[in-house]
Amino acid sequence: MRYGLSVLMRGAVGLATALFLNAHASATTMLREATIGEPPPLDVMLTTADVASVIGRHIFETLYALDSTYTPRPMLAESDREEDGGKTIVIKLREGVSFHNGKEMTAKDVVASMTRWGNYGARGKLLMSAATSVEATGKYEVTLKLSAPNGAWKNLIADVNGGLAIYPEDIATNAGNKPIEQKDYIGTGPYKFVEWRPNRYVEVEKFDGYKSVKEKGDGFAGARAAIFDKIRFIPVPDVGTRVSGVQAGDYDYAEMISGDLYESLSKDPSVQVQRTNAPIFGLFFMNSKQGILKDNYKLRRAIQTALDKSQALRVAFGSKDLWNAEGSIFPKGTPWYSTEGVSNYSAHDPKKAKELAKEADYTGTPIRLLVSTNYQAHYDEASVFTRQLADAGINVQMLVVDWATLLKMRGQPEQWDIFVTHHSFSPDPLLLTFLNASYPGWWDSPEIGALRADLIKSTDPIARKSTWDKIQSLIYEQVPVMKVGDAYTYDIASPKLKGLNPNGPAFWNVSTK
Amino acid sequence: MRRAGAILWLKPFVARPIALAGLGILLATLLAAAFARWLAPYDPYAIDPLIRLTPPNGAHWFGTDQFGRDTLSRVIHSARMALLIGSGVVAFALATGVPIGVFSALFPRLGHVLMRVVDVLMAFPALLLALGLIVVLGPSVANAILAIGVGYMTTTTRIVYGLTLRLRAETYVEASRSMGAGTLWLIGKHILPNLVSPLLVQASFVFAFAQLGAASLDFLGLGAPPEIPSWGNMLAESRTFITRAPWLLFFPGMMIVATAFSLNLVGDALRDRLDPRFRQVFGEKG
Amino acid sequence: MWTYALKRAGTTAVTLLAASVLIFAFIHIIPGDPIYVLLGDTATPDQIDALRHQLGLDQPIILQYLTWVGHVLEGDLGRSIFFQAPVLSVIADGAETSVLLATMTMIWVTIIGVPIGMVAAVRHGTWLDQGLSGAAMLMASVPTFWVGLYLILVFAAWLGWFPSSGYPSIFEGGIVNLRYLVLPSLTLAAPNAALILRLTRASMLDVSREDYVRTARAKGIRPWQVVRRHILRNALLTVVSAFGFTFAALLSEAVVTETVFALPGIGRLVVQSILRRDYPVIQGVILVIVVVYLLINLLVDLSYRLLDPRVELQ
Repeated sequence: MRYGLSVLMRGAVGLATALFLNAHASATTMLREATIGEPPPLDVMLTTADVASVIGRHIFETLYALDSTYTPRPMLAESDREEDGGKTIVIKLREGVSFHNGKEMTAKDVVASMTRWGNYGARGKLLMSAATSVEATGKYEVTLKLSAPNGAWKNLIADVNGGLAIYPEDIATNAGNKPIEQKDYIGTGPYKFVEWRPNRYVEVEKFDGYKSVKEKGDGFAGARAAIFDKIRFIPVPDVGTRVSGVQAGDYDYAEMISGDLYESLSKDPSVQVQRTNAPIFGLFFMNSKQGILKDNYKLRRAIQTALDKSQALRVAFGSKDLWNAEGSIFPKGTPWYSTEGVSNYSAHDPKKAKELAKEADYTGTPIRLLVSTNYQAHYDEASVFTRQLADAGINVQMLVVDWATLLKMRGQPEQWDIFVTHHSFSPDPLLLTFLNASYPGWWDSPEIGALRADLIKSTDPIARKSTWDKIQSLIYEQVPVMKVGDAYTYDIASPKLKGLNPNGPAFWNVSTK
Repeated sequence: MRRAGAILWLKPFVARPIALAGLGILLATLLAAAFARWLAPYDPYAIDPLIRLTPPNGAHWFGTDQFGRDTLSRVIHSARMALLIGSGVVAFALATGVPIGVFSALFPRLGHVLMRVVDVLMAFPALLLALGLIVVLGPSVANAILAIGVGYMTTTTRIVYGLTLRLRAETYVEASRSMGAGTLWLIGKHILPNLVSPLLVQASFVFAFAQLGAASLDFLGLGAPPEIPSWGNMLAESRTFITRAPWLLFFPGMMIVATAFSLNLVGDALRDRLDPRFRQVFGEKG
Repeated sequence: MWTYALKRAGTTAVTLLAASVLIFAFIHIIPGDPIYVLLGDTATPDQIDALRHQLGLDQPIILQYLTWVGHVLEGDLGRSIFFQAPVLSVIADGAETSVLLATMTMIWVTIIGVPIGMVAAVRHGTWLDQGLSGAAMLMASVPTFWVGLYLILVFAAWLGWFPSSGYPSIFEGGIVNLRYLVLPSLTLAAPNAALILRLTRASMLDVSREDYVRTARAKGIRPWQVVRRHILRNALLTVVSAFGFTFAALLSEAVVTETVFALPGIGRLVVQSILRRDYPVIQGVILVIVVVYLLINLLVDLSYRLLDPRVELQ
């Protein structure tokens, strides 16, 4: 009896040990990222929401991808050539690339995706409004015909954010205007969609059939190796909670941390700090369609003259390492950097501003400034500027609403005079929202119309740069928008992670030390 | 006769020194609100980014916030918002609750319908109701008062209803009625005066919880507009700085606690002074 | 008894109907629109109109209301615009967290509030009673999110005893995941324990003044037995009903706590959906909360009647 019992005991111990070892051997690795909030549906073609792109980038891919210098490199495309003065673009696709459902990606999928993107994609019209036809001219070849050449075409299809992500043909054809269903989140990326538990997480897992490009990983371009088996994107709207979560080991990565914590977190051994390599910039849009600021360039310049941008940047972003009072729309080091008109960027001269306002016949009417509470930086900038303008005798009335209401109100020109938003880094001027006459603000003077046309049709980089110089000078003269300044956001991560992507949260090629 | 009445009112406060402390705090808050402009060392709106986020020191007793504004001055000025919201909510709750409650009790058929409506409103949790109203009406001080007030209107109505029912059953009221007294006269002579003390108690509790309700709404970003200093807004703006600048959270929070606490103390003391038959109507929710 | 129960059920149903109209009306007067939030910054008016038509948001209000009610009666609460999943499953997901949180909170509230309330009542008038009552009143005056933030600071960031946020399901990680709810439930428990404490104390005192208790004392029954046999049982009636309401209220009043601790509960779902104008979810969640509230109301009323026939029926 005793003997049997001891055998049983030893057997049990042995089994437990075996299970334990086995469990650890085959334990799936998971990376947990704390995001700023719950994303909208992950139909990346339709939405420009950052949270959707962060997740979507793991699932969907584009024909080209941006490397760490924000230059487009081939991703799903293998090569391309232009014919007919740039009006015909022929793209050759990589072969043997599979979708998550096992089917191979061919030209038909690209054509269907491009058609849908052109019709409904958030940034689709930027390229496809001039498209006369897009066809599959071979199993792996796509031909796009434009009515006029577009010098920036590669840049316009090089990111998933509101962009040309490649979906399978049947999904792209049947989707129409409505966001695709979760069961249709089928892409070619290194991770595939697993499940979405509302308010808890979105989970993706390694796609074993992934075919990577050969070049070394660089920014969002190059080889992508899924080292972590699973990734979970967890919405944590409160910044403090995101930070304590990484410090406590509950999350491995947390995005968009507030500037004021930068200094203390840089010294904190329990986190590593990841500053983005490309700055965002705050924008104050003037209403060019209706209201007191319509056509009144003098008053706009008066407003511009009153402002001290550094004050706002300091409040909104904190540490000096994180912001730069830079008047050029594009930062130094990029091919589009320009000094035209920059002397007007942050004059900080309330007396002169008062005079200019008087010359503009301003008599104290309240100027309505629309801003949301969801983005702390917007609100901070608006508060600082309102004070500065009050010192110059310009009466600004802040309309503080939540983001959803702001999105609706800014589409109604009778509701506001200035509204606040920010712009992520753009590799090309054509992607700038304020150059688009149908984007709220509705800037469309004859001068900008002519310059915009020049920018689109020329393919020579030198000519385009000189056009851009003129546009920037015009921006400081007609003031359709005011740039606040360059700001670097930063994320934090567990010190154990290595291989983090300089362009932003992207977790292929990431592993633990 | 009058003097004796006043002394009787003070008795529960003297009996419990802590209630006296509560009264003291309230008085201080009232003074701060009234004389904010003279008491506050700095302009609460003046920004100075160069001295942002400095801890309490000689020049700024409560430190500065992320805009470089003086926290002490903002705390003092916020007392006005606290008083405004508190009294606004109380005024709204009383102005709606008393008429509805009284008339519902005196006219049973009308009362039946009105109480049903109140029931429907009470089916919604208070915070949800407030949230909903703010989102529909837009954030502003008046709307915040309305939103929070609706939640307390329902409880006040119920209390007044219950009290009036009891009063109606009193013999002297029945007697007056049988003698042909008009309804309004009845209300004026018998009902309202007897409602004063319990309503005073109710008012203190409502005032107290209105502070907490407003703070919650502000924290969610749906309360009074953020430009106006209020303790709740100060907390909402500083929650990202809990590790970097804990003083920003401490002082406004303490003020909310102090105000709500002292109001609760006062309300409690007053309730002990109440006629026992009325006390039951309050339960503990106030 | 049964006629009373039926009558009450009837009024509950009518209240529910009225509430549903209110809910529906309310969300359609909110400014802002899910379409803009869905499509983001750069949507054109055509895209917006097309999507609105696809989601059925351009039909007359009455028709939309009737369609909704019809579906609800079949058990279909519609589909979330943002989560692209049935509203019912979104709510059920959130319900797990909220119910567990509310339950844990009620446990703390009971363990802390009731015994201390009893002590205060029994030692009525002494310094202990005054101290405890004062402390209770203090706890009831503190904003919950303030407590929550400091709890995170001390227990999660500095001491590391508890996680700072989130809640992985117990169905995934085991019962040990309840530790994620410790700090949030303590945060919520503070003001509610205070309320229950004072309620227990007050109702015990009230009952102890009643005639039958005085009779019992006069008969010479030992004080402790008096407490146990008469006071406690009757006082607990009031307290139990308060539990019901507190539990129901917790489901949505926890919204601020859920925000601070990043908990995927119903409260947070409500705020989030309101801010994003996810109409189907807003309607569904508020309806569910109201139903729960009314049901608990009904049950408490009925059990009150059952347990204490002396209670006057209004």
